[in-house]
Amino acid sequence: MSKRKELEAKLIAHLRDDVVCVEKTDPRTIFIDVKRAGIREASKIITTAGARYLCSVGYDNIERDGTLGMIHTFALDDSDQFVCCRTSAPVGDPVIESITPDLPSAGWSEREVTDLLGLRFAGHPKPKKLVLADDWPDGIYPLRKDVPHNFVPKGAEDVAYELDEAPPGTKIVPVGPFHPSLHEPEHFAVYVDGETIKGCDYRGFMTHRGIEKLCTTQISYNEVPFIAERICGICGSVHATAFSQAVESAAGLVIPRRAEFIRTMMLEFERIHSNLLWLGVAGHLIGFDTVFMQAWRVREQIMWLCERLTGNRKTYGMILVGGVRRDITPEIADDIRRVMKNIEDDLTIIHRAIEKDTSIHKRTKGVGTITKQQALDWSLVGPVARARGVDIDARRDHPYAAYDEMKFEVPVLDSCDVWATLVIRVVETFEAIKIVRQCLDKMPGGEFFVEMKDKIPAQRHAITVVEAPRGESVHYVITGEDNRPERWRVRAPTFPNLQAVPLMLLDEQFGDFPIIMGSIDPCFSCTDRVAVVDLQTGQSSSITKAELDALSRRAQSPSHSLQTMLRG
Amino acid sequence: MWLTSKIKQILMVMKPGVVTLDYPNERPPVPANLRGQPVFDHQKCIGCGGCSDHCPARCILVRDVCQELRVMLYDGSRCTYCGRCADICPEKAITMSNSFEIACDQKEDITTRMELFMMTCQRCGRCYEMEKTNAIDRINLKGFRYDNLEQRALIRKTSETFDPALLKESDNYQRPSDKE
Ligand code: SF4
Ligand code: SF4
Repeated sequence: MSKRKELEAKLIAHLRDDVVCVEKTDPRTIFIDVKRAGIREASKIITTAGARYLCSVGYDNIERDGTLGMIHTFALDDSDQFVCCRTSAPVGDPVIESITPDLPSAGWSEREVTDLLGLRFAGHPKPKKLVLADDWPDGIYPLRKDVPHNFVPKGAEDVAYELDEAPPGTKIVPVGPFHPSLHEPEHFAVYVDGETIKGCDYRGFMTHRGIEKLCTTQISYNEVPFIAERICGICGSVHATAFSQAVESAAGLVIPRRAEFIRTMMLEFERIHSNLLWLGVAGHLIGFDTVFMQAWRVREQIMWLCERLTGNRKTYGMILVGGVRRDITPEIADDIRRVMKNIEDDLTIIHRAIEKDTSIHKRTKGVGTITKQQALDWSLVGPVARARGVDIDARRDHPYAAYDEMKFEVPVLDSCDVWATLVIRVVETFEAIKIVRQCLDKMPGGEFFVEMKDKIPAQRHAITVVEAPRGESVHYVITGEDNRPERWRVRAPTFPNLQAVPLMLLDEQFGDFPIIMGSIDPCFSCTDRVAVVDLQTGQSSSITKAELDALSRRAQSPSHSLQTMLRG
Repeated sequence: MWLTSKIKQILMVMKPGVVTLDYPNERPPVPANLRGQPVFDHQKCIGCGGCSDHCPARCILVRDVCQELRVMLYDGSRCTYCGRCADICPEKAITMSNSFEIACDQKEDITTRMELFMMTCQRCGRCYEMEKTNAIDRINLKGFRYDNLEQRALIRKTSETFDPALLKESDNYQRPSDKE
């Protein structure tokens, strides 16, 4: 019996009338509509059937039928399928039962939906604000269609985020909002007993740029990849590819095989550069700057290669809905082969020089441990999960682009610590080089872009996953009118991984905080992509917002006078 | 173990030696197809507004001050050098140049402003073929645009025939702000 039939039978047996329909159109994605009373039960049935929780998507359907929609998405890794369990609640009574008690990693997704759409979750263990600023006015939900994309509410002074109660006998050490060991703004309150970490609370989402809102209100399909690319400075092509694939799947567009090969190659370039970057950062975080300098020296070659190939060091701008923008010429192919050889040689030298270094072992072995079971419970992804014995990789389990033709190993280790993460990322870099070579060898000829003949029909749903260097990215697209998506949800790999950080930190030494944090390769801007910018966290600051404004205005004054000049 | 690792590390560092470039004294060659600052050729531009419609950063603005005069403004301070405008342009009026050292004090230095005299078509108000074959690359906005160049804001209100009222309205456009 196919997975779909099996699931359908189980759901109907348990939920009877609560199951509205099980869609049969798309072989890869199983869309299940249930009434809201059955949502928790349904998600339980789906997970016991072996599905892995991905993320939840909320959307505004008020204009159509007066409801707020909610979709929980899951992946069936052994049969390469996705399960999207949809439900809705009327806007007048926006409450749905929470699935977080069963699936802890759904916690943030649900809090996000509460913040952005005003859908509440009964039984959520921690229904605090997650995404919105502390002084964001109540009752305004930025992702609803009636809130304009450029809405700026009045800020308020002296509103503070209520941190979790510190466990008895501990002291709070604040890390952030700005901290030298983390490269983006976020705030951890770490509860310590002496040097030992006893818990931590996270308040992040300080770098929201409103990307999802912007892309669903202002620009058209083929501009989104360029903005998607800017979700993250490291894995740009990942987001652009995932978005394009989702739209292509919704529109039923088949892109040329050559384009798929070029996409695969871009993704692997990105993996090489990201892994080298991370290796350097990890070295830096444990005070081993030689590794930092050398890894980044090697990485520079790939940056230059990409500049020659795409016209830019990063934000390659290669991917469009329908294919890619630039072809791989024979000259650039030779160039790629040469650079791959150099990187392979250089990385081997670095690898040999550090693999037995006892000072690295001391700082990373046995640090940041969580068990395989915990990693599964919290739906960890990417190298962080693979270092804990969880054998998942979207490239192998849900092949996209040209990965079905590629041969590569997925390294999995079970020492469950930072060291394992490090080894995995180095091994994956070598694997990436192998994949690039295979792409060059097997690349078919022909076109690399195909045009869309007709408009993309509205109200189609599609989900895709792409394995980013730090783990799997999930994109969910609902197509809309006006040549742009109606809803686009991005779940970056840091989103689930960050949720498990308090667990990794538990009972560790405070001095290991940076490397444990760094081991998940956190990308806060990916995680934070959603709503509106407000840097005030309300932490006891000695500078008020008004003063800050005055300060920044003074700094801007040259451009001010310029504007006056312009007008004159 | 520790000692052999350290020796290997010393060799690893010695072999490449110093690799840092002495920039700006030493300038590595710029690759031929770099996506640098876009350059507009006003001789070729027909003022179709395609680039403005498809710029992800929305930094190409179009303002029709009257039926015959269209002002186009490229605001380089927000440009992301994606090259989408150059892809879209039907007349190849935009080239992605190889200049990238464009940090400057004055916004005006990286602003391009073009004033185009427009012919009027009796049928559609604007006279050119901008039928892109790719359905998702077609122009979304109508013929006449009223972006506010002073605020450098793309205003999404457009009209099929020239509308002085909309033009006036866009004059008073203010960027949203939480200041009183
Ligand atoms: S290069 Fe990109 S961001 Fe810059 S003007 Fe052209 S389309 Fe806009
Ligand atoms: S797309 Fe080309 S022709 Fe059309 S307005 Fe822009 S620069 Fe001019």
